[in-house]
Amino acid sequence: MAGYKARLQRDLDRWIADGLVPAENRAPILASVADGRRVDASVALGVVGALLLGIAAIAFVAANWDEIPRLARFGLILGVFLGVTGAAAWTSRGDARPILTNTLLMVAGLIYAAAIGLTGQIFDIAGDPQRALRGAGLAAGLLAIAGRSSGAGVVALVLLGFGEFAGRFDGGNTRWLIFAAPVGLGMAWLWNSRPLAHAASLALIAGLLAVIALYEKNWGMAGFLVGGALLAVLAGAARQVSDRRTAVIFMLWFVWGALLLFGVSGLDDLKGGLLVAHRAAWLVLAGGAIALGMHDRQSMLTAAGVVAMIAAVCAILFDLGLGLMTAAGLFAACALIALVAGFAIRGRAKA
Amino acid sequence: MIGHFPLRIAAAGLLLTAMLVALVVTEDRARAAGREVALPMEAFDPRDLLTGHYVALQMTQRLAPGRPCPTRTQPFDDGGWLALRAADGGFVGQGDTREAALASGGDLAVRGGVLCTRMMVANVETNAVTLDVGVDRFHADQAEAEAMEKVLRARGGGQAVPAFAVVSVGEDGRARLKGVILDGKRTDLTWW
Repeated sequence: MAGYKARLQRDLDRWIADGLVPAENRAPILASVADGRRVDASVALGVVGALLLGIAAIAFVAANWDEIPRLARFGLILGVFLGVTGAAAWTSRGDARPILTNTLLMVAGLIYAAAIGLTGQIFDIAGDPQRALRGAGLAAGLLAIAGRSSGAGVVALVLLGFGEFAGRFDGGNTRWLIFAAPVGLGMAWLWNSRPLAHAASLALIAGLLAVIALYEKNWGMAGFLVGGALLAVLAGAARQVSDRRTAVIFMLWFVWGALLLFGVSGLDDLKGGLLVAHRAAWLVLAGGAIALGMHDRQSMLTAAGVVAMIAAVCAILFDLGLGLMTAAGLFAACALIALVAGFAIRGRAKA
Repeated sequence: MIGHFPLRIAAAGLLLTAMLVALVVTEDRARAAGREVALPMEAFDPRDLLTGHYVALQMTQRLAPGRPCPTRTQPFDDGGWLALRAADGGFVGQGDTREAALASGGDLAVRGGVLCTRMMVANVETNAVTLDVGVDRFHADQAEAEAMEKVLRARGGGQAVPAFAVVSVGEDGRARLKGVILDGKRTDLTWW
């Protein structure tokens, strides 16, 4: 915000000099733009000091961990968790320190995850890593909902995501992320949180992949195609529904996910007409993403299209069984196209 | 982003704390109530920087001479059962269900997996099974771990140290570690 105000100040001076804006309007216009949040040196030093104190405390406890009785260790862990949660409750009063509260709840979620593991270690409670991660994810989710904390929400999704792939990804037959991701998307929308929007969008893509992997033997290529189509529909819906930043984030990630799933669906043993149709559709979709990205001025969308285009060209080369020299030349050409597109996007962004 | 939710945050923190305490108490009660069995094992003592000192437990036992390996390897994650002799912790058989495992003999069924390998003992090749009952380490403080290491190293020359993992098998079939016996010395898990 401070950057915007400085730029506006420079523009206003130029517009006043050109006679486009009356000079007496300068002050009211600048007054209408709020100053950005500034962190002064004392606050920064305070944060650094608190962090160092925390590290010193952790190092001291770690050095004497073996000497501490089991119950005391357990009490220490619970005390730290309750202390951080209590601090979050304290700072949430009156909505005076939203960032601090959010951070504390995020840290509390992480501490609880560590507490589950350490409790198992202290009392030699054998457990399934997947169950432990999912339990920690649910706990972070509870903290997120209790305090409307996007940070704890991100932690919840990350832990549930790790839980999806921990231990027995191949042998397990349960999937949680596909249910948690929509909840995350909803919270991101309601709280207008960008970090949570990123995390929930990625969680949805990972969750879809996990579900498809579970039923891959039965569904085959269709699972990836349906998953990709679903993400494409969601991307379109997000683009239509709103131009809020969270909706844009949803749209961008869903396009990446849709192109990824579509690409992967073609890595199966396709033959004849199906193979040609897939590769042609891949090129068309990649081109469409590039065009849409340039139209909407969304560089991340354009980048998704460029990456999909390169992947499609590579797949076609592989299908054709071209020689290494030919392939190297074509890859170099593709790389050149990507670099030129990147510079063009960058130039446009600066303009 | 953050609402006025001090009470809700505090309630969530207390609820999560209570759940962790309940887990510890429940596990302790189940450990005390289960049927105790000492499983023969090979023990070694790696030091893990991340999880503190522990004794890794490998429950390997030789099968009687001439006794063949089980027909299939049973991974722990498959959720199968093992049949044991409660008196000496000897492996008797395996199955997909408690009943199927006990049908092969034994008087105690525990959830777990089994892997059979050929190994050399005193220049004689024999079959040996390694049981996986979900218990693979005994966390010890530094003094305990060093004492155990000393016991393990006291017997050189390839002579095996008699070592057992003492587990409690509950009604749910889960094995919960109670302690270890190394060279006749038993170390139990305590609250302290």
